[in-house]
Amino acid sequence: MRNVYLIFRRDYLGYVKAWGFWLSLAAVPLFMLIGGTFAVFAAKSSPVRYYAVVEPASIFASAIEAEFVQDDEAVNQQARDLAATMDLPTEHQVALESTDAATPRKFVLVPAPASSIDALRPYLMGERLVSGPLGDKPLFAVFIPSTDGTSLEYWSDDVNVGTLRAVASNAMRRLSRQDALSEAGLGPDFLAEVDANALKVPAHRIRAVAEQTTTGSKVTMADKAPVYVAGGLAYFLWLMIFSIIQYLLMGTIEERSNKIFDTLLTSVKLTELLAGKLLAVFAVTSTMMVSWGLFAFGASLFATSQIPGGASLLSPFLAAFANPSIIMPGLISFLLGYVMYGMIFMALGSLCDTIQEAQTLLSPMMILLMLPMFAIFIAFQDPGSPIIDIASWIPIFTPFLLILRMPHNPPMWEIMAQMVIMAATALTILWLATKVYRAGAIHGAGIGDLGGVFKRMFKGKV
Amino acid sequence: MHTPPLVMTRATKRFGAFTAVSDLSLTVPEGAIIGFLGPNGAGKSTSLRMALGVMQPDTGSISLFGKPPEIATLKRVGFLPEERGLYKKMTTRATIEHFARLKGLTARDARARAIELLDMSGLGEFKSTRISKLSKGMAQKVQILSTLAHRPDFLILDEPFSGLDPVNQQVLEDLIRAEHERGATILFSTHVMEHAERLCDRIVMMARGRKVFDGTLDDAFSSLGRGARIAVTEGFDLAGALAPSGFEAHRAPENGPGDAWRISLPRGAGAQDALRAAIEAGAPIVGFAPEEARLRDVFVSLVGEADAAALRESETGEAA
Repeated sequence: MRNVYLIFRRDYLGYVKAWGFWLSLAAVPLFMLIGGTFAVFAAKSSPVRYYAVVEPASIFASAIEAEFVQDDEAVNQQARDLAATMDLPTEHQVALESTDAATPRKFVLVPAPASSIDALRPYLMGERLVSGPLGDKPLFAVFIPSTDGTSLEYWSDDVNVGTLRAVASNAMRRLSRQDALSEAGLGPDFLAEVDANALKVPAHRIRAVAEQTTTGSKVTMADKAPVYVAGGLAYFLWLMIFSIIQYLLMGTIEERSNKIFDTLLTSVKLTELLAGKLLAVFAVTSTMMVSWGLFAFGASLFATSQIPGGASLLSPFLAAFANPSIIMPGLISFLLGYVMYGMIFMALGSLCDTIQEAQTLLSPMMILLMLPMFAIFIAFQDPGSPIIDIASWIPIFTPFLLILRMPHNPPMWEIMAQMVIMAATALTILWLATKVYRAGAIHGAGIGDLGGVFKRMFKGKV
Repeated sequence: MHTPPLVMTRATKRFGAFTAVSDLSLTVPEGAIIGFLGPNGAGKSTSLRMALGVMQPDTGSISLFGKPPEIATLKRVGFLPEERGLYKKMTTRATIEHFARLKGLTARDARARAIELLDMSGLGEFKSTRISKLSKGMAQKVQILSTLAHRPDFLILDEPFSGLDPVNQQVLEDLIRAEHERGATILFSTHVMEHAERLCDRIVMMARGRKVFDGTLDDAFSSLGRGARIAVTEGFDLAGALAPSGFEAHRAPENGPGDAWRISLPRGAGAQDALRAAIEAGAPIVGFAPEEARLRDVFVSLVGEADAAALRESETGEAA
């Protein structure tokens, strides 16, 4: 174990002392901060714009304004629905429901300063200003009914901002419906009332009788959190393996090109060397992932502290994470998956003399890793899919899919059998990779001579 | 009786159809300095890698301190591989410390030893310098120090003089003598015979994977017939003139004044006797030199001109 530690220590410190490591470590939180700040800043700094509707009766203008109100109400309703799925204390539930989740209005209706597009042109092009509740500003857009009455033309100097036009389109559709209802002798709220009277389709989670008696059948975040946690864990494993490809491929090149193997192999066993190197890369990526995770957790805590009862939002996720029936198979799959993929990459790296050679291997490795990524996507959407059932028995997918299937309580025999297959595959890969590594490290077999690699792996003593 | 540090018994190693080492038996007794000689491709490095357990022989056996080579036994061995290599981003002190710790020294001892060795070898001011910043010779020195750091009982040095300038070759020779005086057994390979002549009390010569000689320097020199060189005025037949006196003379290729002849000295006869016989035969002598036997000549006499040419190529390559 001492030798494993010494190899681990040297490699780990070697990686950690490189400035690229600190750059990577800082990059993700930095980008998260910049991205988050930018999004908030973009939302807050988005200017309030004036628009006008050229019509004497204000029918269209009222419809557009009403549509804005409807949109705000829809956003608030979504927030209330989300709050309803969480097991929040009543006072927090009430506080959350009363919160205005909609962003402040960015488009303000002002009286049209002219009635023809030619007369409005200087206002729309910023040459003249219009007065409004926020002072004098250029006119951002104007709606003018077409002469034949079949359309409401949208005029603006900036056609890339499509929000206002989209709201107006919805408003015109709603107005048209109301007109049709009115002609049919029905009130403007007729459709809304019909919708409100439709049968609701509430979701219920079927549970054992005893459990249902205590927790009820209502679907809450506690029901969904395990799936999210398992999905996160599977994606985390994938991300970790994806990020170690380079480390493991390149990690042995220094030793191979610097001819250090002979010196090392007279001091440590090959298995100790491999274990130390694999652990070092694991520790390096873990250091990065844990640092990023802690940052994300801190950011989540901060974000939830800004919402009434927000701290309670995290509790279902923490509970799912602490659930041994999810986390234990998850961790085992995680470790076996890491060993499987890690040894493949390290063995291939031992056959490369140069970074260029290793880089040629990167593309096929990336493609190999995209397959489990697709499987993760499918399994997250539909874990009961027959293709996922089948794929979970294929060892390169098992580590990811077993984690994702755990919240859906697959049969115990399947879990055990898949773990045994995974362990057997990991051991086989370990055995083969050690042979490849030995052929590359000791005999100098190269990636360009795969025939020679196989010969050196299986023929004669090394 | 002490167990010999290394015993190789009929070890053979093949790579496909090529036999790198054939039927090699070798015993390195405790306290010896043994030179492992031969041109490039003679099988020296493969033999040493087998001795260290890095490679297994196809047939035959290896015993290191009485046991098959294994990590526990290898802690007593210091190995300098032919192909030098260090971690380029590590400092000199960290490098020596790391390899010393891998050989069993504690962190504190390894650090103290690294500093001691760097100071002793004149690299004290480069303790915190990365290997990548050192010259090739200095980096090689650091690797040699890494090999010695754990005070091994048995040093195996594969071409230790390769790549060193004459000054550092002398420093390394002194270092090897010092290690020997400390009590270490030393086995080093080289294709430069002069190093072996100066350092070894025993030599093993290899050619084409086979051992062609194993003995002391005296044994080596006594195996070679001695001779003398006599140059005479062009056109004079020295062979015919010396034949009645029992000396055999052959034309030598060297350039110089007159025609050069090599005289083989029969057992009991000296170079002066050959000179006297030539004078008495009336030879017009323009040059004379008694021939001093060198290991190179021993090697040539043992393996023939083809392998001797390979040795010359190795030396030329080294000089380049």
